[in-house]
Amino acid sequence: MFRPPPRASGYLHTGYGEDLALLQTRTERTSLAVFVVLLGTFPFVASPFALDLACQVFLASIGALSLMLLTGYAGQISLGHAGLIAAGAFTTGILAREISAPFWLTLPASALTGIVLGFIFGLPSLRLRGLYLAVSTLALHFIVIYLGGEYETKRGFSTGILVEPPSFAGVRLTDGRAWYFVLLAAAAASLLICINLLRSRSGRAWRALHVRETVAEALGINIARYKLLAFVISSSMTSVAGCLFAYYRGFVSIEAFDLFLSIQYVAMIIVGGMGSLLGALLGAAFVTVFPYLIEALLRLLPNIQKLAGDIFAVNYAAFGVVMILFLIFEPLGLVGIWRRVQSYFLLWPFKYKPLAGARK
Amino acid sequence: MTTPLLQVDKIEVVYKRVITAVQGVTLSVAERQIVAVLGTNGAGKTTTLRAISGFLGIDDARVTEGAITFKGTRIDNGQPHDIAGRGIVLVPEREKIFPNLTVAENLAAPVPRGTGSNERRRLDERAYHFFPRLAELRARTAGLLSGGERQMLAIGSALMCRPHLLLVDELSLGLAPVVIQDLTRRLTTIRHELGIAILLVEQSAAAALEIADYAYVMENGRIVLDGDRERLKSHQDVQEFYLGQTGGERRSYRDVKQYRRSRRWYG
Repeated sequence: MFRPPPRASGYLHTGYGEDLALLQTRTERTSLAVFVVLLGTFPFVASPFALDLACQVFLASIGALSLMLLTGYAGQISLGHAGLIAAGAFTTGILAREISAPFWLTLPASALTGIVLGFIFGLPSLRLRGLYLAVSTLALHFIVIYLGGEYETKRGFSTGILVEPPSFAGVRLTDGRAWYFVLLAAAAASLLICINLLRSRSGRAWRALHVRETVAEALGINIARYKLLAFVISSSMTSVAGCLFAYYRGFVSIEAFDLFLSIQYVAMIIVGGMGSLLGALLGAAFVTVFPYLIEALLRLLPNIQKLAGDIFAVNYAAFGVVMILFLIFEPLGLVGIWRRVQSYFLLWPFKYKPLAGARK
Repeated sequence: MTTPLLQVDKIEVVYKRVITAVQGVTLSVAERQIVAVLGTNGAGKTTTLRAISGFLGIDDARVTEGAITFKGTRIDNGQPHDIAGRGIVLVPEREKIFPNLTVAENLAAPVPRGTGSNERRRLDERAYHFFPRLAELRARTAGLLSGGERQMLAIGSALMCRPHLLLVDELSLGLAPVVIQDLTRRLTTIRHELGIAILLVEQSAAAALEIADYAYVMENGRIVLDGDRERLKSHQDVQEFYLGQTGGERRSYRDVKQYRRSRRWYG
């Protein structure tokens, strides 16, 4: 069950500062630099389609990271994340439409909506656990979708709300490349927030109450407070993702936020690997790209015209099969595979087994 | 006579409004004192401990009578984290550490809010001072520790809350005699250096009577015998049924349990 990430050895820390540094070895620093350069050059070589896909991955990453905080670390299951994205998107859409609110107003407003919803729907978690909690969060999804739908029909936007692209310092954000960098920055900021939250008192409290609620309480951790905090932070981050989604798509409609989206977010953190932020990112990328991958594979088949109508169904089926395969063969998700590769290279050329218990 | 640190006064604990687990239990712990509660399974030891630490609500139980006073304040039926904040910290019986956190994180998790970084380091070093083994294991995931190391970590984490009274549930559970001896010795050191009080709940009377200043024996939800270490150690029944030292022919626990005790101990 517990597979700690492989650690570099031979580094002596002589102060608390070094112990707290985010990047501790030269390899870590170099690989991050290379990764940043790759991300920076990607929009200049990629096709518009690939660029859109990358933007979708960034948006999904924010949602997956926040769900990972809540479910993967604090252990509170939520099936309402599509509802929270919808709440952020609708807050943005309605404010932009009704009072033509600018970007700097809709973003905090979405975050606030998330905070309020997170608080209300976090309350059941003080009493309910596991499946029961999941069902109570499902209510959140249906309520938000219902309210959104009512707004759409009452105001006569039955096809959806159009949202004007936001402008920064007089420049309108319409270019795909510009969006790529904005969303990349948002995803990076979310990641940094998550990393630092998890290294703080709250992060330790979440991981503590996830495994041993009673022990956490015995040691004076106020679990009600930290459960609610997890819900509030996770929900507000998700709503912010919804706000960005509304601006990026330029269009808000309830059809985009069905229950399948919630399932997809849960799938992201399971496929990626529970209890790991890297897993959330890998899962977000995997689940977002996966349908396009299946489609591309299907196109390789002969007689594609005959199959054209079935692509949707095949996609759903393939998604289900992949989920099951992951649960059976790699419960630690993509991050489990990644760590195996990592420890292989850390140990290379030796092949001794890691510490007893570290491998299942 | 000075007021004790903790005073449990004739409490009665009822589970699910029906089952009475503990009746008329009175015990007290003075400052810097090590007190042991002994008894067999189901005697009500753990229930008493839970009543003190506020963990009854989880099992739908309540203190229905009597009072628990800590430093002059009533704490019966309080919230666990609140009681921990007042300075009563419980080291639970079985699942006592966070297996998904490293040793260092386990120690950092319970540090109270608003603790300065210098103070936090001092607490850190204090825990490592009492359990040097933990310092070697700082970066190890706690789920990989051995039973003895887990117990050290659990006591270490409890010390991070700066307790005035440490409650230890079954220190000796599942541990080798050598490890138990080491741990009990460390508890005495902790009491000595930090000046805190310790309340032990133990089945292993031998281990508990090594370090306790005063002890209570529980049976069927009542306290049937109490006294200081020497008195209990030399008490015939304790010797026979808890320490396993028999003089001559072995008597059955069952034969004497009811009538004789009520006569001798209540009388």
